[in-house]
Amino acid sequence: MDIGAWKGIWVIAEQIEGTINSVSFELLGKAKQLKEQLKSSEPVTAVLLGSDIQGLADELGQYGAEEVIVIEHEKLAIFENDTYAAVLNDLIQERKPEIVLMGATAIGQDLAPMLGGILKTGVAAHCVDVNINEEGKFVAVVPAFGGKVLGDIFCPDHRPQMATLKPGILGEPVLDKNAVFKVTAYNAEESLKKVTGRVKAVGIYKNEIQGIPLEKAEVVVVGGWGIGSKENWSYIEELATLLGGAVGCTRPAVDENWAEGEHQMIGTSGKSVRPKVYIGAAVSGSTHHLCGMKDSGLVISINTDENAPIFDSSDVCIVADAAKFLPKLIERIKQA
Amino acid sequence: MNFNFTDEQEMLRKAVREFVEAEIAPKAAEWDEKDECPVELFPKMGQMGITGIFVPEEYGGAGLGHVERAICLEEISRHSAGLGIALMTHHLGTDPILKFGTPEQKEKYLPDIASGKKIAGLSVTEPGGGSDFMGQKATGELKDGKWVINGRKCFITNSAVADVDLWIVNTGTNEKGRPLLSTFIIDKDTPGHKPGRKENKLGLRGSVTGEIICTDVELGPEQLLGKVGDGAKAGMGAIGEVGRAGMAAISVGVLGACLELAVKFANERILYGKPIAKLQAIQFDVAETRVEYEAARLLLYRAASMKDAGIPCANEFSIAKYYASEAACRAAKRIMDMMGGYGVINEYPIGRYLRDAQAIIPAGGTTHIQKMIIGANTLAGK
Amino acid sequence: MSLKIAVCIKPVPDPDYYDQITIDPVRKTITRAGIPTIINPVDKNALEAALQIKEQVGGTVTVITMAPPNGEESLREMLAMGADEACLLTDRAFGGADTLATSYTLAQGLKKLGNFDLVFTGTESADGATSQVPSQLAEWLGMAHLWNVSEIKLKEDQAEDKVQELQAKMKIENGYIEYEVKLPAVLAVSRDLNTPRFTSIMGVMKAKKKPLTVFTVNDVDVDRTLIGLDGSPTKAGAVFTPSLSRKGERLTGDLDEVVEQLLQKLRAAGINLEIKSSSQGGR
Repeated sequence: MDIGAWKGIWVIAEQIEGTINSVSFELLGKAKQLKEQLKSSEPVTAVLLGSDIQGLADELGQYGAEEVIVIEHEKLAIFENDTYAAVLNDLIQERKPEIVLMGATAIGQDLAPMLGGILKTGVAAHCVDVNINEEGKFVAVVPAFGGKVLGDIFCPDHRPQMATLKPGILGEPVLDKNAVFKVTAYNAEESLKKVTGRVKAVGIYKNEIQGIPLEKAEVVVVGGWGIGSKENWSYIEELATLLGGAVGCTRPAVDENWAEGEHQMIGTSGKSVRPKVYIGAAVSGSTHHLCGMKDSGLVISINTDENAPIFDSSDVCIVADAAKFLPKLIERIKQA
Repeated sequence: MNFNFTDEQEMLRKAVREFVEAEIAPKAAEWDEKDECPVELFPKMGQMGITGIFVPEEYGGAGLGHVERAICLEEISRHSAGLGIALMTHHLGTDPILKFGTPEQKEKYLPDIASGKKIAGLSVTEPGGGSDFMGQKATGELKDGKWVINGRKCFITNSAVADVDLWIVNTGTNEKGRPLLSTFIIDKDTPGHKPGRKENKLGLRGSVTGEIICTDVELGPEQLLGKVGDGAKAGMGAIGEVGRAGMAAISVGVLGACLELAVKFANERILYGKPIAKLQAIQFDVAETRVEYEAARLLLYRAASMKDAGIPCANEFSIAKYYASEAACRAAKRIMDMMGGYGVINEYPIGRYLRDAQAIIPAGGTTHIQKMIIGANTLAGK
Repeated sequence: MSLKIAVCIKPVPDPDYYDQITIDPVRKTITRAGIPTIINPVDKNALEAALQIKEQVGGTVTVITMAPPNGEESLREMLAMGADEACLLTDRAFGGADTLATSYTLAQGLKKLGNFDLVFTGTESADGATSQVPSQLAEWLGMAHLWNVSEIKLKEDQAEDKVQELQAKMKIENGYIEYEVKLPAVLAVSRDLNTPRFTSIMGVMKAKKKPLTVFTVNDVDVDRTLIGLDGSPTKAGAVFTPSLSRKGERLTGDLDEVVEQLLQKLRAAGINLEIKSSSQGGR
């Protein structure tokens, strides 16, 4: 393999039914950083697949893509791993980017390794960061054991070097309405002829999410196993509403059916959040949860156990029974 | 001497433990509080192979032995000794059918008992005294080809829930004037057969204990289990090697629970800036409990291994039951004391362990009875 | 109709102990001594899916793992849960593999055992959680695949007495995509798909009689450059622990006093404490 022939930093963006997943914008910001670190002159490139997606290219450009490759075809309307991979495989082999970034979303966690398997290259999964090190090498930092351990991953002898990152891990993306960028089209027709149709999308269904999405909330109120009951859980919801925030939870609250569902779960196997204010009530603070909220602004924790690990990662520590403390806090806020 | 369990026995323990942690542990406190027997768990235990653990495979059982049975009872009793005694009584009622049943009787009853579809019971104790086994006053009279059963049994576990109730009754005297006891299988709902008052027990709640009354219950001859006069062997054999064994296993379960709670509490409770586990007095309490647990376990599984090898072991089970049940009472009190104020708060299970341990003492023969048996055997050179 | 089904599993250190894992400051390696090994939890959902399909249309269920020798214990547990046979791929030469090399090794092991109609895996392992092996396994096997499956419906072709296709849902953020998939296929199942059955005592007793094959590198047809460290395009570098600590301030006083102090902190952080109207609030 002629490593030197592979140039350029790509972001495979993701859109579902005309909405681009914000992780794509976050990755473009990171791609720009990598370009500067590499002192490269290749344009940061975004690739978008779908059907009826013409208008979306501009967003990608405004968030940092210097070139946007739009691949439009009715067969790309709903994600099919075989179909998307066939097209991207041909495109990547033709254009030879040295780095390819994708969001570690449900689609990304399927498509990225599949591409890695077809291209016989390395994929670093759900990285907490990617960088160019002092030796000019691309390094991905990946968590293991629920985030208790981090490790550097390199892909020295294969191209492209691939990595996926979860939404919310990188910082808030920067929008530049005056950005200058190029939009090109890629004809997928030839690639699509190779698709056998063994995986066929029949339909897509999305739930309506009420209120502020967790990842965007300025205030996140999180309840853990110590909340103890569905009745007590209502304090978490009420406090979040009063503060104009969103409700988050840990795994036990999902298992006990107090929380609405997995989409509220914060941690290495759930969501990453970085709100202005994080309030954790009756959360013990296991590493995998901490990794999901470590970049929060002000971290406030309430727990009956003075030795709870979460207090070592909090700015404000309150040793109290959440079931007693929260109602008082709620009452007092209502009076304010 | 191999003191290890086999790989299969270890896997069996693990499988049972997972089942217990999911289906039994979360509800144990509730069963104790409400004093309800969770009959809905019997078919689930049937699927697991627990209710029919020593019933042969041809009748739908797991076809295993008394070591495996002890493992099941120990694991269950770690969380709910109340369910433990309900299950052990079910096994108790199964044993005479296995030993004395005709092929027709086995075919009729064992599959449902093994699958947990039917719950079994053994009715022996009477108001006149449980320790006086041969002094049964309940009667069985043969009239026009039918057996008519009359009597009142008390302190019977599974009284209100047993579908298959084995009664030991007096059916006359032999040529030496000694009582002839016989065993009868009575289906629930047989006219004249009714559970009576339900006792409000101090411990082992989660099982139903109470009276059963038979008033002119008519049974066909096919309900006689074994021959007339086999009742003593059937009853005492069951109690001696299955009942006592079960109570010993339940005691070991309670001991294990006390030990586990003690370790957890001692490692978490901070006093003087460090866990109380660092204090010698606490270490001594835990050490004593540990030794009792290990000793009880060894006595239990030694006796169970003997039974599986076909060696008579009523004495060994007596030793195990006596030691394990008394040790469970001592351990529960010791750990309750160790826990200070928390020991007497009902949110913590130690109170339940203490009550359960105490309630085990009269079940399967009191400590006094065990000492009589062990003493008499020892003095006779056995 | 009979399907030949495989389930790939992974023995992992028990996740309940992950907070105790440390990095040796001298050797800079991960120390995980004394942590018990269990079967990756979601792999039980994978086996449950396979067993349910076997109960529906008939067939066999083979469990396979690439692991150190102690993988045999985990395989026995899966046999006790209901699998029909097991296969352990174990050899130093397989060690150090990343997901590409691991999935290659598993694929070669499966090919040696026959032609499978369905291969089940869990979505991800508790330790590495890359979630990459299923998709790459499908590539090596030349099969269709779906990841993050939360529902499966077989399409029984009564006329041909075969199952050639199934319908399945892939869970995505806030919803799912529904697919029709032609067999043979690899399905990576999520926890939502089913509730794994308990292992019964009867199952434990039957397990010892079920076949368990051990393959070393010489027993399977592998290209040595594609296994182990050599077959891994990704290379591991340094390991370290994340910095998660903050200096905390303990609020003292009775509950009412603490509430007041907390409100001050919230105001200082720029949170507006006026009561929000319901349209602005959120869950």
